[in-house]
Amino acid sequence: MLFSSRSLLTMLHGLLFGGGALLFLALALFALRLLASGVGGQASARQLRSLSLLLIAAVVLLWLGTLGGTYLVFPPYRATPPEGLADLGMYPRSLLLSDPETEWLHGFAMETKEHVPWIASMLATAAAFVSVRYRQRLIADPEIRGLLNALTAVCLVLVAYVALLGTFVNKVAPLD
Amino acid sequence: MAPEVDRLATPDEGRSGGPFNGAALAALLAAGIGALSVGLFVILNEAAAYAAPSLYGPAGGVSGRTTFATGVWLLSWWFLHRAWRGRQLKARGVYLATAAMILLGLLLTFPPLWGIL
Repeated sequence: MLFSSRSLLTMLHGLLFGGGALLFLALALFALRLLASGVGGQASARQLRSLSLLLIAAVVLLWLGTLGGTYLVFPPYRATPPEGLADLGMYPRSLLLSDPETEWLHGFAMETKEHVPWIASMLATAAAFVSVRYRQRLIADPEIRGLLNALTAVCLVLVAYVALLGTFVNKVAPLD
Repeated sequence: MAPEVDRLATPDEGRSGGPFNGAALAALLAAGIGALSVGLFVILNEAAAYAAPSLYGPAGGVSGRTTFATGVWLLSWWFLHRAWRGRQLKARGVYLATAAMILLGLLLTFPPLWGIL
């Protein structure tokens, strides 16, 4: 088989869920800026609904990525190898910790990835909630718009940061 | 022919939340509390002061830390939403408190800091 089930799981987690969330967050932020720059700061109901849908899609993907990462991808990553095993290729955490040059990829990158996505998911959920509940005045109300702008921007930065760290880990110790 | 722009939104067209900003600020502050909770559960674990029990063995302690923090987030959101949803609040204080909690939460999950402890 070209890809193992563990490898497919990692791709689903990183590319589909993480990458998708990143894409939708970027789109939502762009749409928010674009709509706010329109004449009179007004937007059509259809445009506002689309903006809410972008944020809802980002939240769904982000939670799937976070939960899947914690409960499906992380367990095989941190599995303990049998005593005396020379080839640690199937045990990414042990592989990273076995070399001082890659130790930071567990101690810093993976440890960050364990927690920061949860914070990003909570913030994104708040953004999606605001976008649905205050949909009719998202653009016209500067307070609500500013709040949504800030939440979405912070989420985007956090998800991009975590995705970058995940790429580093997967490059050196892939879950094959 | 259906108009391209079917309806224009104005500031006083609130949905179920009405024109009040309370529900938005409740969601924001609760997210900040959630972020800080994640950080606190992490730092308590790293300082060996309190380790949230593992709720799923293969995932280890992170399953307990994040589940407990998520519980704190959802509970605080529920309480704040019930208290603020029909109120117009001054946003500045909530913004500052939320920003501080998010920053602190992120700082506490920053592994280089754990080495200082």
